Amino acid sequence: MNISVPVQPARWPGSAFVRRLASSPTVRVSARRLLSAIPVLWGVTLLAFLLLNALPGDAASALLGIDATPAEIRSFSIKLHLNEPLWTRYGHWLAGVVTGNLGTSLASPQSVVSIIASRLPVTLELVIYALVLTFVVSVPLAVVCARWPRGIIDRICLVLSMASLSTAPYVLGLLLVIVFAVHWSIFPAIGYTALSTSLTGNLDTMTLPSIVLAIPLIGFYTRFLRADLLEQMQSEDYVVTARAKGVSEWRILTRHVLRNSFIGLLTVIGLNLATLIGATVIVEQIFSLPGIGYELLNAISNRDVPVVEGIVLVFGITVVLVNLLTDLLYGVLDPRIRHVRSRS
Amino acid sequence: MSVPAADLLASAPAQDLRAGAAPRARGWLRNLEIAVPGTVLVVLLFFCFIWPLVYHVPDPTVGNLFQVNLPLWSPGHILGTDTVGYDIMSRILYGGRVSFEVAAAVQLIGLVFGGLFGMVAAYRGGWTEAVMMRILDVFIAFPSLVLVLAIADSLGPSETHVIWALSAFSIPAFARVSRAATLRLRDQPFVVAARLAGTKTWRIMLRHLTPNIAPQMLTFSLLGASLTIILEGALDFLGYGIPAPTATWGNMIATGESFISVYPRLVIVPSIFLLVTSICLNMMGDGLRARWGVR
Amino acid sequence: MPRLRERGRAAPAPGGSEPSAVGMTPGAVLEVEDLRVTFRTRLGTVYAVQGISFAVEPGRTLAVIGESGSGKTVSARAIMGLLPRSADVSGSIRFKGEQVVGRSNNEMRDYRGRNVAMVFQNPERSLNPTMRVGYQIAEAITTHEPMDRRQARERTIELLKMVRIPAPEQRFHEYPHQLSGGMRQRVVIAIALACGPEVLIADEATTALDVTTQAQIMDLLLDLQRETGTALLMISHDMSLAAAYSEDVVVMYAGKIVERASARDLFAGVRMPYTQALLDAIPRIDTEPHVLLPVVGGRPPDQSVLRDGCPFAPRCPDVQQDCRDHAPPLRQHEPDRWWACWHPIQGGAAR
Repeated sequence: MNISVPVQPARWPGSAFVRRLASSPTVRVSARRLLSAIPVLWGVTLLAFLLLNALPGDAASALLGIDATPAEIRSFSIKLHLNEPLWTRYGHWLAGVVTGNLGTSLASPQSVVSIIASRLPVTLELVIYALVLTFVVSVPLAVVCARWPRGIIDRICLVLSMASLSTAPYVLGLLLVIVFAVHWSIFPAIGYTALSTSLTGNLDTMTLPSIVLAIPLIGFYTRFLRADLLEQMQSEDYVVTARAKGVSEWRILTRHVLRNSFIGLLTVIGLNLATLIGATVIVEQIFSLPGIGYELLNAISNRDVPVVEGIVLVFGITVVLVNLLTDLLYGVLDPRIRHVRSRS
Repeated sequence: MSVPAADLLASAPAQDLRAGAAPRARGWLRNLEIAVPGTVLVVLLFFCFIWPLVYHVPDPTVGNLFQVNLPLWSPGHILGTDTVGYDIMSRILYGGRVSFEVAAAVQLIGLVFGGLFGMVAAYRGGWTEAVMMRILDVFIAFPSLVLVLAIADSLGPSETHVIWALSAFSIPAFARVSRAATLRLRDQPFVVAARLAGTKTWRIMLRHLTPNIAPQMLTFSLLGASLTIILEGALDFLGYGIPAPTATWGNMIATGESFISVYPRLVIVPSIFLLVTSICLNMMGDGLRARWGVR
Repeated sequence: MPRLRERGRAAPAPGGSEPSAVGMTPGAVLEVEDLRVTFRTRLGTVYAVQGISFAVEPGRTLAVIGESGSGKTVSARAIMGLLPRSADVSGSIRFKGEQVVGRSNNEMRDYRGRNVAMVFQNPERSLNPTMRVGYQIAEAITTHEPMDRRQARERTIELLKMVRIPAPEQRFHEYPHQLSGGMRQRVVIAIALACGPEVLIADEATTALDVTTQAQIMDLLLDLQRETGTALLMISHDMSLAAAYSEDVVVMYAGKIVERASARDLFAGVRMPYTQALLDAIPRIDTEPHVLLPVVGGRPPDQSVLRDGCPFAPRCPDVQQDCRDHAPPLRQHEPDRWWACWHPIQGGAAR
């Protein structure tokens, strides 16, 4: 967390309410955090734009193919404003971004925003499903490991988590397809059924992809949580107090320690999100799920620059905003920060 | 892309994963934790780089259409052949070369540029650091695969371009690690003493900071190498990496995918090599981190 | 869970066995006899407590005084059954005549909090930061007594009143960091007293507090002791606390008891040079300003090595050859006065 520089409330103009608000540590920390996110968000737009416009390679000729005449290329360039200087184009694009207009796809008459919106539910469901799976599995596992450190379960978990952390999603995805779709035919290998069409059909098509996304996360969170739990069990005085009360080890773990670990876990979720989103691209490709990542690969192969730009931007902004959100939530959830920071 | 050991380290240097390194064995067992993956890696490196020089290995890009789809353990083709008659063993060895080359190059670039970036940021502090860190935040905001994909696509397919593209993720990651490590050193008495004695900044960085952050950087580069190999494979798999006839593990998995229900081994064999390599690199990194007491 | 193992006399007897200092003390609620605690670590064995004996009676206060590393906190944790697995505990700890050493985890859990409770040194850290204080106290109650939420809440508020926390209904819902250090320590005391334990161990309970708060907390502890008749085992490094608040004093050095007496007798005339050294280190109002306080020179001995001589010999101002050759046993030399010294101070300086 950012520790804020002390602000002298007396110098703040405005009403007593504003002053009280400004002296509230949560508000101050949050405000600082919000402010520091602005340049990052701007940087994200800049990088997303430059990635697709400043690097070598001519979009117009690439789009039209090698047999396009120079005249065709020129008129196409004008249509795409490719003849204008880079910074003018960035300015136009940024103005659009701010007003929620990411331009129109080159491959279809749809707007980029509507394309992303139509693909969003699939990716969102995938991410949420994977996170739910992750927590359902890794929290109990971590607690059991921390209850008997160096025990047999703990050791097995260590080995498995190391393996799962080292697994590439495409390897895992294909191996699961071989086992569950080809060999046992429990799940379909590819295809997508919308949630609105059929719940069971949807789960059929989404379960395998979500497992692929979840497995590395399970390995990571189990290890992370276990380490945090153990560290607290061994070094925190409040654990000794609880033991002195006669509270059982299980209860100390689940009621006292886990609770404190969850708060730390929150920020980690934000940090993992970028990786998770990256993995959805591959998983959607393997399982032919019409999500944002699938669209991204599609757009890249079609040289549909506005769509690629838009998706890269949306990914970047999502990661920044989710991290911002978890940081702010952290301030709200951790009572120490909520109250104590007024002294810092 | 495999999730986070390295990614997280890169983005949250304050998190102590060492405590998370889970049950730590003692004595010989701890040595084993480093020795086993180390041996496996050495064996792999030997077979990828040296074996083809001393022993005849079939050309990985010349198929024999009379010998397609040979099963495992066929004479002359230990791991069989694929649908166009390429020898799988030889493709694995040459593919491994690519993986290790790319991983090493990307780590080296990350180590030098990222390391310097992070060190300068942490050592200068203040506004310089704030601005430099915001720049890193921008890079880290993008999913590494997406960032790499966009760059690799713009640059066009080739091994060098893949290396540059992957560096876009490794430089910020190394920068994070090096900054965190430098921050812990910045106010240590020996650094302050050097500064007070009028030692030049570059000299402090080279002689005082670099040796002290080296363990962090080296263990991280092992985790980073594992991640790089996976990401490089992902690029190949998606068709934006090293172009097809070249043997790479990612390309092998990608072509194997089309025949997954008929010849699953076309996917399974390269997958196993990829998995083993990446597990060994991770284990080495982890084991060394524990041994050196690196946070 | 710390594992307590009764090893009795079979345990290696470091430092030579001493005659049992107390037999059965009639009326004692807690009797410790020849307690030995040994830690086996990778770096070697540490003999943290080397055969100590004492007894606490209901309504009385026993102060255990010693430097850090003298084994006083380890003894307290042994009584609570809170030592880590790496600790070997032998000897006997009897609560109301029943052996505690060797009990199962479940029995220990039932005993902790209900029979023997503890107040810890650092109120900053001894409460769970993310849990409301009311819940933390209520948990101590409901762990031992079946009670619904409302009853537990009422009892908690009673306890908060008992430790003189103002506005208890409001405090019930607050988090530890919203309270001052003194208030927090009151909460810790409330937790300790939640089930009306017969023995209360205060392990440096006031060390982390400022002097005014320290006095308030000590007064509170003694008042509560008077009300409830709890036996109080006060563990401290501070001689002046012992002088002001305790009835009996045990002085520990290097895992052994070196002097034992009632507070009155002890401060009337110290026998053991180590006790004298501790006393001399207390700042006094009548000494000249800016005069350096005498400190106990040297360091406490390395407890991973067992020696023949008196453990204090290397630092003792009155050391003689026999001190270096044989450790003096703790013996009763006068009625109710015990010390372990070959050359006791005669008519030692009173304070």
